[in-house]
Amino acid sequence: MTVVLRVENLNKAFGGIVVADNVNIEISKGEILGLIGPNGAGKTSLFNLISGVLKPDSGHIHLNGRRIDGLPLYRRARIGIARTWQNMLLFTTMTVMENLLIAPRSYPGESIFKLTLARESVRQAEVEARKRAMQILDRVGLAGTADAMVTDLPFGHQKLIGLSRALMNDGDLLLLDEPMAGVEGAAYETMQRVVRQEAEAGRAVCVVEHNVSFIKDLCTRAVFMSNGRILQAGTVDELLASKVLTDLYFGV
Amino acid sequence: MTDPLVLLQILWTGAATSAIFVLLTVAFSLTQKVTGLWNFAQAGFMGIAFYAMFYVLNDLQMPLIAALAAGAVCAALAAVLTEVIGLDVLRARKSGSLMFFIFTLILAQFIIYMLTLVFGTEPQTLYKSIMSPVRIVGGIAVSNWDLTAVATAATMLTLLFFFLKTTKEGQFLVAVSDNAKLAELYGISAKRAYRVTAVIAALFICAAMYLTGTRGGVTPNSPFELVLAATIATLLGGMGRVFIGAMAAVILALIQSFSVLVISSRWQNLLLYGFLFVTITLFPRGINLPRLKPKAAASPSVTVGKPADVTQGS
Amino acid sequence: MEYILTIMVLIAIFVILASSYNLVIGYGGLATVAHPIFYALGAYTSALLGIHFGLPAVVCVLAGAIVAIVASVLLALSALRVAGDYLLIASLGFQLGLLQVIKNFEFTGGPGGISAIPNTITGPWRTPVYLLICGSIAALTVWLIARIVHGPYGRAITAMRDEELAFSALGRNAMTIKVVVFAIGCGIAGIAGGLYAFYFQYVSPEQFEVLHSAAMLTMVVLGGMGTTMGPVVGAVMLIAIPQAITFLNLPPAVMAPMQGIIFTTLVMLFLFLRPAGLVGGLSKDRMAGRTATEKSSAGAAE
Repeated sequence: MTVVLRVENLNKAFGGIVVADNVNIEISKGEILGLIGPNGAGKTSLFNLISGVLKPDSGHIHLNGRRIDGLPLYRRARIGIARTWQNMLLFTTMTVMENLLIAPRSYPGESIFKLTLARESVRQAEVEARKRAMQILDRVGLAGTADAMVTDLPFGHQKLIGLSRALMNDGDLLLLDEPMAGVEGAAYETMQRVVRQEAEAGRAVCVVEHNVSFIKDLCTRAVFMSNGRILQAGTVDELLASKVLTDLYFGV
Repeated sequence: MTDPLVLLQILWTGAATSAIFVLLTVAFSLTQKVTGLWNFAQAGFMGIAFYAMFYVLNDLQMPLIAALAAGAVCAALAAVLTEVIGLDVLRARKSGSLMFFIFTLILAQFIIYMLTLVFGTEPQTLYKSIMSPVRIVGGIAVSNWDLTAVATAATMLTLLFFFLKTTKEGQFLVAVSDNAKLAELYGISAKRAYRVTAVIAALFICAAMYLTGTRGGVTPNSPFELVLAATIATLLGGMGRVFIGAMAAVILALIQSFSVLVISSRWQNLLLYGFLFVTITLFPRGINLPRLKPKAAASPSVTVGKPADVTQGS
Repeated sequence: MEYILTIMVLIAIFVILASSYNLVIGYGGLATVAHPIFYALGAYTSALLGIHFGLPAVVCVLAGAIVAIVASVLLALSALRVAGDYLLIASLGFQLGLLQVIKNFEFTGGPGGISAIPNTITGPWRTPVYLLICGSIAALTVWLIARIVHGPYGRAITAMRDEELAFSALGRNAMTIKVVVFAIGCGIAGIAGGLYAFYFQYVSPEQFEVLHSAAMLTMVVLGGMGTTMGPVVGAVMLIAIPQAITFLNLPPAVMAPMQGIIFTTLVMLFLFLRPAGLVGGLSKDRMAGRTATEKSSAGAAE
């Protein structure tokens, strides 16, 4: 199996608080890795380190064999890291379609030069992005809401828009930060189906999630984090069988 | 080689003159620390304090103590009213920094226009004569004004220091300046702290305007230059460090005084702005990050900037 | 009549200034107060080139715009590296510092300013022609900015202001967009400066003081931040209303402060009674000038 993401000996601390303590992770093509652990374990921080929001104190991050830990946030997205956010961070004054249109890896419309000198390529990119956005919205069952303001959608649908926006980036790595938090019913089913399809299509997926049954259904492998350290890696069942871990997780 | 006595004289006069800037910088910087706000309206309070004293001394012919009381009360009233009627409303609306900037600046301007309408644009001094008796100490001319200035600044700074360190009210101010939201949780009212700060700032402003008005002429426009000087000292001293800001004010005043030896006097002002300019364009990280947003308004981001928070929730 | 036309030229110039300022603070979400200094750079550059080199007015005005752009890029690159509202205070310092330089150099005329800027259009039609030129450029500015903020680029600006962190994590380069938006806005202010210099044939430092920052800011906020027509309405109102009382024939000692009082009272009334502006269409937090940085850093804290 091709390794997409490799994290080596990653360390990060803020003052006395260690959020990543010698973290090592590998995710392969088509795999869904679960990341579980109590609040404050460093799961979101690990996403922030991988996607480039935070700079590590030491250690390396490789994407498809290329070292990326020196690259800024936006460059990492361009070479193929798509992510969602725990609190979605949707563009609240924009429509669903606009939220998606801004999200492809390449967006010539952000360059004034291309806008004035290569207008045809900008137009072409817009047409393609619109097509892709409609396909994705179709997949999550929200094609009808394309022109609605994102803030007018119910919470579960907003979560799906958050996922759809990330899917506009067709890169190899997909990081999902608590995709199921607050999501119920049909949206839950859709989320599960789409994430599975993405992995089947060859993406490496990493999910931070408190919903254990979601992790169990989707992930073959999971890691348990606490205080910035990976305590154990294995199948979800193995992790849940460990009394030490479940005590840590479900709160003592 | 310059005569050492001349150097000493410049040092003394410069230090004495800096008292005005020290007082105004403390007023400005303390307000910035506690409320998180760059309160340019203080220029207006300076004008109010000065003209209140001027009116009581010259039109009512009352003694100095009455004038000082009038100046302090009027400035404090204006400062507290600004808090209650203006800033609290903007805070409640969670207005952005630009709104606060407009409001405080426009309010200052409004007060200054009002004062211009009433008192005209002629420079005024508090007393008819601003001659101050001079004695020679070890070859250096020391005027009564110099002594008053240094004593006032030293006394007020000491009082403020002990107020912040030892009194309950003072520690509330520090708590609110550290984290308004958290302080509220512990039952400390941020609004109350803001008002106390407004009164303290008004006292410092009144003292500074007394010194200014007994040394030279004041026009309705002069407070603007003064508040800009206080802004610069606050910036260079670093946000939230009131006493270091006061030191920055002294150092800036001294540098300006000594620069007379090296460059022509008309460049003196430029020197002050030069420091600011260089700091801002070349060393933006060299000084502490400012918090322009008043803290109460910054509800989601009260803790932003402390990197540890980035780790929350994982 | 000449007087009214002159006021209209001034209004046109301020429409250019307010609209370009709106691009920066309203659409771009960049909290700067230094717009007058870029106006000043344009005015001084074109005035000096006109006087000393006798270059054609168009060349001078364009050179003024280029100087304003270069200065704005310098400021943006240094101030934007620091997160948060640092730009506000940095821009204030930038403005004060440059003004002080202008006031102290011989070649800029010191505090007295520069007069005798060559007249490019003579004859009885001078003012109407200038009005035509300034009016056209004002209209062009409004149109250009409307074009920029709609379409793909406008979408990027909006998204950046909404959630900068998410925006960057999608692969968009927020820094470049900020610098470009800032440079365009300031370059247009430089053009306004050139127009002012050639029409009034006189520039002095006091026209670009911090008080004028507040005035321009007010035009944008009163009219409606982040709207196309808001700054236009704001500029017209705030220039025209204080001028109206000049017809009352008050003595000058009363007139100047009265105009100031009317102006500042208007500002405060609107600030509290109509915070979204006359042409308000934006959500509450956006019109309040919340910068994208604050929101996204709050997001990062989750």
